[in-house]
Amino acid sequence: MLTASLLPVSFLSFLWDRLNVFATVFLGIFMEAVPYLLLGTFASGLVEVFVDREQMSRWVSRRPAAATISGAFMGMVFPVCECGVVPLTRRLFKKGLPLSAGISFLLAAPVLNPIVVLSTASAFGWGEMLFWRFAISLGIAVVVGLIFSFQKDTVQVLRPTLAGEDHQHVHAEPNDPAMEKVRKALLITVDEFFDMGRYLILGAMLAAGLQTFIAQSSLLAIGNGPVLSVLIMLLLAILLSICSTVDSFVALGFTGAFSFGAILSFLVFGPMVDIKSVMMYLQVFKRRAVFYIVVLPFMMSLLAGLIFNYFVK
Amino acid sequence: MPQRMFRSFQGLLLAGLSLLFVFKAVNGQLTWYINSRFIPLTILGMVFLAVLAQAVFSEIRRSRKHEQDHPEHYHEHGHAPSATSLWVMLIPLAIGIAIPARPLDSSAFDSKGFNTSAPLVSSDISAQIFETESEERNILDWLKLFNYEEDVIQFVGQKASVVGFVYFDATLDKDQFYVSRFVISCCAADGFAIAMPVQWSQADALQQDAWVAVKGKIEAITLNGSRVPLIVAESVEAVETPDQPYLFP
Repeated sequence: MLTASLLPVSFLSFLWDRLNVFATVFLGIFMEAVPYLLLGTFASGLVEVFVDREQMSRWVSRRPAAATISGAFMGMVFPVCECGVVPLTRRLFKKGLPLSAGISFLLAAPVLNPIVVLSTASAFGWGEMLFWRFAISLGIAVVVGLIFSFQKDTVQVLRPTLAGEDHQHVHAEPNDPAMEKVRKALLITVDEFFDMGRYLILGAMLAAGLQTFIAQSSLLAIGNGPVLSVLIMLLLAILLSICSTVDSFVALGFTGAFSFGAILSFLVFGPMVDIKSVMMYLQVFKRRAVFYIVVLPFMMSLLAGLIFNYFVK
Repeated sequence: MPQRMFRSFQGLLLAGLSLLFVFKAVNGQLTWYINSRFIPLTILGMVFLAVLAQAVFSEIRRSRKHEQDHPEHYHEHGHAPSATSLWVMLIPLAIGIAIPARPLDSSAFDSKGFNTSAPLVSSDISAQIFETESEERNILDWLKLFNYEEDVIQFVGQKASVVGFVYFDATLDKDQFYVSRFVISCCAADGFAIAMPVQWSQADALQQDAWVAVKGKIEAITLNGSRVPLIVAESVEAVETPDQPYLFP
């Protein structure tokens, strides 16, 4: 009798403990990401009211290669991480940014921006890790961007709301006075924060849930071989869902246990793909396109990690 | 849902989120979730959320005024926005309010694991720790020292004074326990526990997860194939949970 009545109590307290871990991890990811998401959505609001389609077509090269490469470097001007880059890219598509440039921006900007340069340098120093992280991220972003440049029909790639008519509640007019523009930019920021924030929240919940129930130590215990270690770090990048501005400090924690190639692949792939960013990608791109945006960087990061493990370090 | 009602909920949720951040900041709980270096950024986010809430509320006033001034022109603009984004935004608010805040403790060990030899920071950091008084070093400092210094025997007999929570592990002897802390680089999502074994004759009187200050002398032992520091305790005292429950590398 006694044990029968005790069992549910201990089970409940087990669940309660797990719920607490879940809540702490979830709020951790959320509080960490919210400022960056706000930054990205605000940038998107400013682009909406201050940039028009004609300006965009003047700025961006018509040649796919040039547009793709300049897209990859746009992060130096818009310092956004992987949460903020999605609404901004969506906005730039609306303003007529070519697909290839948008994709390379989306993939490269979370790494190729001043904040991440500094955070990576403060974790690993101005050395090889920094150089290869940026070189390989740039390479992957440009290659995927160029692959998408063969797709001339954006309707195949972008969600209908983007390719076609506009359901936006707030409309910017080119000759609004400055205060009016700021007011509209703030309202657009709000709408996008709600629009994108829900996928951040769902993604953070999934990541926190997985972290609460899957033992990270068991994942780390598997990975030691030159292939497995890279695969484990890529999986971890997806699972942890941490912001690209701080992931170098997390990666630093794995330097003893993992090879240079494995850590590098974590630093390259993590900013491009994780649970919350995939949920946000699905709001901008059709599923087939998201598949390519996830799988191509995965394969290339894996390849980069393997090359380093086998031939360099 | 009518446009204005949708806007009202948006405004309330933004204000609510901002207040949640204020509440956590005032209670000193922000560092239960994120590394202290990101606190300025969180404060910025909190202020910006309040600015956005204000922008939404003034938009509602504007549209109401517009309706009073031009009742004949007034019509609801656009499609009714979907309410799901409102419900989802309610989730962090509900979790933040309904589940009592608690820093990560031993109940997260199953999933997050714990480590007695954490290779955390580049080796040049250990030189700084080397120079600090042995009683000033925290658990992370000790583990770093044992990780990076070739000769750990030199630390044997040094005085140690660390704060952490109690963790019992089946592999330890009866008169031993772990004194443990979580280490956070970015946010609670990347947190993992580090621990030092402690030799203490009254170990079985301690409670799991109780915060203690351990004073004693360092001993070097081999655990799972690596050299780790053990504290031979002279005193183990119960203490309050520290303001910053985590260590930041």
